Amino acid sequence: MLSLKVGRFLYLAVNWAVLAFLLLPILIIFVFALNPTPYIEFPPVGVTLKWFDKFFASPQFMSALLLSLEVAALTTIAATVLGASAALGIARGNVPGSRLITAIMLSPLMLPAILTGLALFQTYVLMDVGRPLWGLVVGHCLVTVPYVVRTTLAVLHNFDLRLEEAARNLGASPQRTFFEVTLPLIKPGVIAGGIFAFIVSFDQFPVSLFLVSPGQETLPITLFNYLKYDLDGTIGAASVVSILLAALVVIGLDRTVGLRSYVKL
Amino acid sequence: MSRASARLGAPRLGANVMGLALLPSALFFALFFFLPIGLMAVMSFLTGNPVVMPNVVATTRHYERILDDPYYFEVMWTTVRIGLYTTVAALLLGYPLAHLMARVKSRSLHALLLMAVLMPMLTGIVVRTFAWMAILSDKGVANQILQALGFAPMQLMYNEFGIVLGLVHIYLPFMILTLTGVIGRIDERLEQAAQNLGASPLKAFCEVTLPLSVPGILAGSLLVFALAISAYVTPILMGGFQIMTLPILIYQQISANFNIGFAAALGMVLLVLSMVLVLAYNHILAAVSGQRDLA
Repeated sequence: MLSLKVGRFLYLAVNWAVLAFLLLPILIIFVFALNPTPYIEFPPVGVTLKWFDKFFASPQFMSALLLSLEVAALTTIAATVLGASAALGIARGNVPGSRLITAIMLSPLMLPAILTGLALFQTYVLMDVGRPLWGLVVGHCLVTVPYVVRTTLAVLHNFDLRLEEAARNLGASPQRTFFEVTLPLIKPGVIAGGIFAFIVSFDQFPVSLFLVSPGQETLPITLFNYLKYDLDGTIGAASVVSILLAALVVIGLDRTVGLRSYVKL
Repeated sequence: MSRASARLGAPRLGANVMGLALLPSALFFALFFFLPIGLMAVMSFLTGNPVVMPNVVATTRHYERILDDPYYFEVMWTTVRIGLYTTVAALLLGYPLAHLMARVKSRSLHALLLMAVLMPMLTGIVVRTFAWMAILSDKGVANQILQALGFAPMQLMYNEFGIVLGLVHIYLPFMILTLTGVIGRIDERLEQAAQNLGASPLKAFCEVTLPLSVPGILAGSLLVFALAISAYVTPILMGGFQIMTLPILIYQQISANFNIGFAAALGMVLLVLSMVLVLAYNHILAAVSGQRDLA
């Protein structure tokens, strides 16, 4: 009986330790961002917002943040259109080999992202196009379209085909059925995929590594270059901003379109 | 007549129009994914860039260089070793939490645990690596605590230990989610039956649940290993530019040497290795979901 209790205690203790291992490092970032000394002091000696001032006053960080937001926005739009249309084609198109097509659409998630970046970089070199912004967006689309395909397919597989049939039987044209029945029904899946696309693009490192042009880098690349030489609170503030932005997108869309009932993560 | 045929034809026409919706993405993937990967394969067998150089010929010298020079073997072995350590550590840490998540009765507790696992996944890898640098650096949190307790400071990063710890943190959620899926499919009553027949909870777990979860262990391990060997940020920052892995070597060939052909050959090695691992992962998970009713 005693060993039972000890076993139960150990089981819970190990799980608490693993949870702490997962979450404490993220907490440390917040401590570091608010800590007044340039090197992390533990326990913290006070609270300051000066690192946030420094971050928002830095032209280098600001242009990186703006570029990241721009790339993430463009990627979200392009990936949502490409991914949602692909999912519709797979689920409703009656095309042969839909399993294979699905696997192909998801394949960029299966390969090391750094190779996606390398292969695109080599292609751009052979095409002699330099490192344009659209090239970076294309790279980000490759690793975000799969998320949109996956979430849209999930909704399409779960929805009642009789709703479409009912609309058709009541005399609606295929176009009207599509715009007034199908599209509103798959909207939650498309939006959930779009949110994934935004976050994956905003935090993207390995694909960007080869594709950003020097002097015009995204936030993760700028953070990485900064980390190579410096470890002060500015980097903590930049990290907090990027965590909060990602969280804000998720919460904001949850509030506006009510993801919770649709998205099973 | 024409009306009837129009009505009969309409659904099929609709389906064909929907099939056309595949075109943009199919074109996009062909042009920007499969063509570039194919070009990478071709470049790995060429002596240079055929667009700007007139006398480019086919060669296997890039692959010969990888095989002949022991330095590259050393780099591969370091990469694989770091991948193995990361996988074993992620398995040992991830299994208990995956088991708890698969067995917890309360829905809200399950949602909380899921959020705790997903939260790190939504944080960028550069940001998470920075967190570990703040903890493990010479003047970091860990060393300040050690010193406050009267111990000598330790070198916790700029070595493989630091790299592995950072990688485990980044890829642990993938292990947990894979394992939770498989453990959740094992009928809990099997374990209860073993206990009713007199086995201790530990024995019941070791002889019932653990063997049934082996596919999850394999799949999760393959996934984490494949992710760990293709990591760039964490090995370079936590290793303090001291430790060379395959992805670091690939980037160096582009950024410092601009040797596109050799980078392509190294890329092909990583590509083939990852594809084997990922195919095995998919195969195992497909087998598990196929025999769902048996377990």
